[in-house]
Amino acid sequence: MGEVIVVTSGKGGVGKTTTTANLGTGLAQLGYKVALVDADIGLRNLDVVLGLENRIVYDITDVTGGHCRLRQALIKDKRFEGLFLLPAAQTKDKTSVNPDQMKTLCDDLRQEFDYVIIDCPAGIEQGFKNAIAGADKAVVVTTPEVSAVRDADRIIGLLEAAELRNPRLIINRVRHKMVAAGDMMSIDDIIDILAIDLLGVVPEDEMVIITTNRGEAVIQDDRSRSGQAYRNIVRRITGEQVPLLNLDESGLLGKIRRFMGFK
Amino acid sequence: MEARKVNAGRQPWDEIEGDEETILIRRTLRSGQKFYYSGNVVVMGDVNPGAEIVATGNIIVMGQLRGMVHAGAEGDDLAMVMAFRLQPTQLRIANHITRPPDDEVSGNYTPEIARIKNGVVTIESYPARV
Repeated sequence: MGEVIVVTSGKGGVGKTTTTANLGTGLAQLGYKVALVDADIGLRNLDVVLGLENRIVYDITDVTGGHCRLRQALIKDKRFEGLFLLPAAQTKDKTSVNPDQMKTLCDDLRQEFDYVIIDCPAGIEQGFKNAIAGADKAVVVTTPEVSAVRDADRIIGLLEAAELRNPRLIINRVRHKMVAAGDMMSIDDIIDILAIDLLGVVPEDEMVIITTNRGEAVIQDDRSRSGQAYRNIVRRITGEQVPLLNLDESGLLGKIRRFMGFK
Repeated sequence: MEARKVNAGRQPWDEIEGDEETILIRRTLRSGQKFYYSGNVVVMGDVNPGAEIVATGNIIVMGQLRGMVHAGAEGDDLAMVMAFRLQPTQLRIANHITRPPDDEVSGNYTPEIARIKNGVVTIESYPARV
């Protein structure tokens, strides 16, 4: 029986889709069988990020509506054997699926996969309710901005109300230099408000944009800091204890180590 | 209401109030969560920004208070708000509305109490330093 994890944030643009793609890729890299579900119906983009857009035939609404079998809608990833995507519909909206259907869908996926990761849409309305309906665990993504942290706090409250206890936090796009200069909220500031377990911290990294535009995941890039951060997060999801990445590697030693590919 | 006479030569047993309903919230109130209670409210946890508590009596937060609170919501200006760390977005007592000064970055980590004194909301550390 697999585990269903929903990746959510409340606010848009903090990196839910990128995180979903990277966690999925990372888990598949470790040999797990993973299904990614794009619950952002009407604004799908997980398929684009994974570079699988041109392979879509059926989508999630076809499965829940009984127009096709689940197997037919699942798209196999180009790179990893065990990675599959269930794409969202682009021409419909969030009301075309209901929470009960999502629950059934997650239960079906759980039979076949080790991990099912759901990319939740921004907002707290129907789309969010659908996305969390079948989940066992939640990962909340935020960035070090007051607005994103506020929305994350709201989401944590809603998750708790929906009996999704102990969500874990990913802080995305942290700029160490700005934090050190006191211009950005620190990890401690954020934990202080949200008071939930930290799953990982991902530094701001241009490589994320570069790899995303190529339809790849940054986690495959051995040299990038964000890739390393995601690899650590993936290991934590599988139950390993991994220390937090030291973000302060701006010195010469850090540069050399990065250049050599050690981290 | 006998025990409500503030300050001056009181005995410990005068401090015990038994004639009002009090509710204990054993968790943190998060953004978007609103709590209304007719009586006193005690929170074992934080009140995060975007959360609201409205009580007809007193409000005590055994944690950080960063949201909006309204004590004495039905006009009781003897009501008070107390928190381990009092940093509300807005603080209301009876028909008084206050907010922290815009330029202040509070480094105060001591418990504080807010109540109306001489018609203004006053904030003092609690217990008062000698």
